[in-house]
Amino acid sequence: MYIGIDVGGTSTNAVLLNEGLVRASATVPSSEDIITSLLDALDRIMKGVPAELIERVVFSTTLITNLIAEKKYDPVGLILIPGPGLSHVHYKYNTDTFIISGAMDYRGREIIPLNDNEIEKAINNLNARGYKKVAVVGKFSVRNNKHEKTVASKLASLHPDWHVELGHQVAGQLNFPRRVVSTMLACATKDKYSFFVDSVQAALSRRGIEGAVYILKADGGTMPLNKVSGVPIETIFSGPAASTLGVQALIPPGETAVVVDIGGTTTDLALILSGQPLLSARGAPVYDNLTQVRALAVKSVAVGGDSLVERVGKEILVYSERLGPAFCLGGPMPTPTDALRVLGLTRLGSPKKATEAMEMLGQPLGMSPSEVAQKIINMVIDVIVQEIEAMFIQWEQEPAYRVWEVLQKRKERPDMVVGVGGGAAGFITQIAARIGANPVIPPYSPVANAIGAAVAIPTIQINLRADTEQGYYTIEQEGYQGKIEKDPFTEEDALLLADEWLKKRAEKYGLGNAVEKTEYTRRDVFTMVRNWITTGRIYDISVQTPRGIIGHIGARGGFK
Amino acid sequence: MNKKTGLIFFPAFDWAISPTHPEREERLLYTRDQIFEEGVMDLPQIHEYAPRLASLHDISRTHFCVPMVQSQVTEAHLIAAGSTLQLGDSIVNGEIRNGFAMVRPPGHHAMRVVHGNRGFCSINNEAVLVEYLRRRHGIKKIAIVDSDAHHGDGTQDIFYHDPDVLFISFHQDGRTIFPGTGFTHELGGPGAYAKTLNVPLPPGTGDEAFMYVVDNLVLPVVKDFQPEIIINSAGQDNHYTDPLGSMRFTARAYADFTKKLQPHLAVLEGGYAIETALPYINLAIILALADVDYSNVMEPDYWPGRFKESPERIAQVQRMVEQLLESWANKDKVDLPNVFGNDKYYQRKKFIYYDTDYIEEEQFEKVRMCPDCPGYIIIKSRGERGYRAPIRIYAVSIPFQACHACQSEAYDIYEQAKKQKECEYVYMQDKSTDTCMYYDKVKGQEWVTEG
Ligand SMILES: [Zn+2]
Ligand SMILES: [Zn+2]
Repeated sequence: MYIGIDVGGTSTNAVLLNEGLVRASATVPSSEDIITSLLDALDRIMKGVPAELIERVVFSTTLITNLIAEKKYDPVGLILIPGPGLSHVHYKYNTDTFIISGAMDYRGREIIPLNDNEIEKAINNLNARGYKKVAVVGKFSVRNNKHEKTVASKLASLHPDWHVELGHQVAGQLNFPRRVVSTMLACATKDKYSFFVDSVQAALSRRGIEGAVYILKADGGTMPLNKVSGVPIETIFSGPAASTLGVQALIPPGETAVVVDIGGTTTDLALILSGQPLLSARGAPVYDNLTQVRALAVKSVAVGGDSLVERVGKEILVYSERLGPAFCLGGPMPTPTDALRVLGLTRLGSPKKATEAMEMLGQPLGMSPSEVAQKIINMVIDVIVQEIEAMFIQWEQEPAYRVWEVLQKRKERPDMVVGVGGGAAGFITQIAARIGANPVIPPYSPVANAIGAAVAIPTIQINLRADTEQGYYTIEQEGYQGKIEKDPFTEEDALLLADEWLKKRAEKYGLGNAVEKTEYTRRDVFTMVRNWITTGRIYDISVQTPRGIIGHIGARGGFK
Repeated sequence: MNKKTGLIFFPAFDWAISPTHPEREERLLYTRDQIFEEGVMDLPQIHEYAPRLASLHDISRTHFCVPMVQSQVTEAHLIAAGSTLQLGDSIVNGEIRNGFAMVRPPGHHAMRVVHGNRGFCSINNEAVLVEYLRRRHGIKKIAIVDSDAHHGDGTQDIFYHDPDVLFISFHQDGRTIFPGTGFTHELGGPGAYAKTLNVPLPPGTGDEAFMYVVDNLVLPVVKDFQPEIIINSAGQDNHYTDPLGSMRFTARAYADFTKKLQPHLAVLEGGYAIETALPYINLAIILALADVDYSNVMEPDYWPGRFKESPERIAQVQRMVEQLLESWANKDKVDLPNVFGNDKYYQRKKFIYYDTDYIEEEQFEKVRMCPDCPGYIIIKSRGERGYRAPIRIYAVSIPFQACHACQSEAYDIYEQAKKQKECEYVYMQDKSTDTCMYYDKVKGQEWVTEG
């Protein structure tokens, strides 16, 4: 049996799956002390089930994401080595930032050396300002990490107790500004993440659960919980991925669907294209900054059931703020939830209060409560429908850098609009009607995120970049750079080396059996010609285990 | 000016002329690394678009491909051309302020008739864009400034008789480099006199002379012409490290030029110093277009004052600029019959060598000297390809500004040519109605495409 648990800021959802069926589900309020709410949730879903039967537990959480959003983390100082290129005024990250000399080029060749004095000065400054956490990021450190490592060893010798995070170890893909943000966040959240892991392990061991424990990543794959302490940042955006995977498990395979998760003040949208959740072309965004974390494409729209509605002059406006619960639930101001109540689309709260809220808005305009309510709902739906359309267009317009990628571009529109979350029921039918799709509110939709966690499977991938002219290769995910021993080193050799590293990485995370099936998602070969002779080759290889879920709910056959 | 700069980056990582040809997969690899690592695509001033395919009709509207479009283009060509069309659309409909099509393969050596690949080019991306902008968006006056080290002979050929296209090319002197053309006396045909301006620069020319040409010739002439759209054929082989050229421009100068010219659209052409120049020039051009500070972009081996211009070279360039300014100023006063004759047609004979495909083309071009419009063009061309039988074509092109008399005369000529035995293929390109036809004499079959 499998357990999926989504630890959110306000509530914790849990499900117990048995052979593709939801055997039990529970929603409990999240308490300050995670262990208490976890135990509560576990006890509710495991009534009468011996702990030995639990093969696997998967967690997803928005806790760390929320900490970041609320800026509740220790300050992190930055030492950056950007070198020439974009003007340095672009590197402002709301913390003390020290830019030092030094530069690598795109092939990892040193073009400007480090300056020891500047390093020392930066460290002394950070110390004087009380920092104990430092992120060190150099441009092109992905191609050569020497500078970052030199700064790190200086830091270690002067302040062995500081927590230092290096850019090349956190994210391996090119994009210096995103790597700076990722590294800073990794540094900031490591302690809190360890605390989360400890709490989870404590709760599970108190209930005698000894099955494998995983955590969901933002890209919808899982990693063993105890192995990710290295780079927790990939797991911190797992909340939205959980709901999307949940919907993927709750609808038939191969469908194209929009997932609409309507909450209090935000509505999260995600796409499932021909059965597969869409990955974002950009890294996961953290407020104004993009990170280099691979994530499912999720769009957050600033409108929800609790959004504040006001009359301004002759117009009715829906704001993105929340002032409290809906009027019909004792709140201070009218909301879309009140509108739904008036139209009979929910049974929440007092119908009298809801009507009163609509009258407040409508009377000066000579509109009846139901007219006002319909207008509010239409406005909310307008916003959501526009965003859905924009998401599809954005997906179609994603850049392509190879001929075959341009030729295989698809155009797709959803077959269904799937509602999850508390506020979905009232809106889904109308949203679906607008875009010509079928409305679906699947069973268990309130706990879709916990289901998503329960069905998620491990994904691992390796990007190898080998430069035979310089005689070295890098493994992006590992921050590893090593010598190419073979000569000549062919494309076949590069593929084998990538496979080898994928296995190594799988072993490291205790996922040896996950690499039975692998696929190459990229295999580019660049012949290097200098002065009219071929001097080497660059191989860009990506190999990964297929993305997917264990099976679909209700489809017994899909489960082991 | 809060509108964005549009970018299409299409490095065609799976397309090459051959694995070791300069025009190969590797060409934009380091540019990718540089602009991705800088995070340029995430800048709020930048909007990245997806590439798209041009249609075969978009190509037929501009070129006579022998025997047909499909035999001269690969999908990569359609994507490179289509990407410039995408940016053209986005500019005209106001989504972006300007744009840069960083695409492969390049196109400025592709002429009106295409028997094969010349100078790594098969399809002229800028020319396809110009005809598209006219047809789709009704734009008339367009300026093209070619900053490639090689003369933009294909673009010149296509617009030589078009009074509404100003074509300015500065490049390394044709006596020292491919394609061996682009001299100051090539000024355009009788109907478009001085709308073509060539500035052949001596080998070794650096930033100082480059800026002199820009400030004293390019900017004032473009301003005077008052184009609706300015296109830059952004070739980058004038860089001091380029293996094919012998010039000494820097990345910084390319950016300064871009900032001064303010092109609506830059389209990547040549540039084969793929490590030492392209990553830096491309980044600098993007930043210049987006109005972002580019002063920190620098080649690793450059220091200010590295190249000193010789006074003789400057003087030589100044004389040339003066002469061209005079041609420009006097363009409407020139006694054209005296220069071009007084016949019904102006005609010229051309020999064109296709360096990539080893084809020799012999061409007769006739332009109807019409008082009411730029006149239709008739082309008889014969392409000799080694041991294979030569291919002869007969082509008629009606300009989009054509008068009614020229249009009907041109159709008569096309019908007559179909009856004659001389050529294997006969073409009609009617830009005034956006209709292209092509007749295969052996098969006795005609194909028509319409926009
Ligand atoms: Zn060139
Ligand atoms: Zn005429």
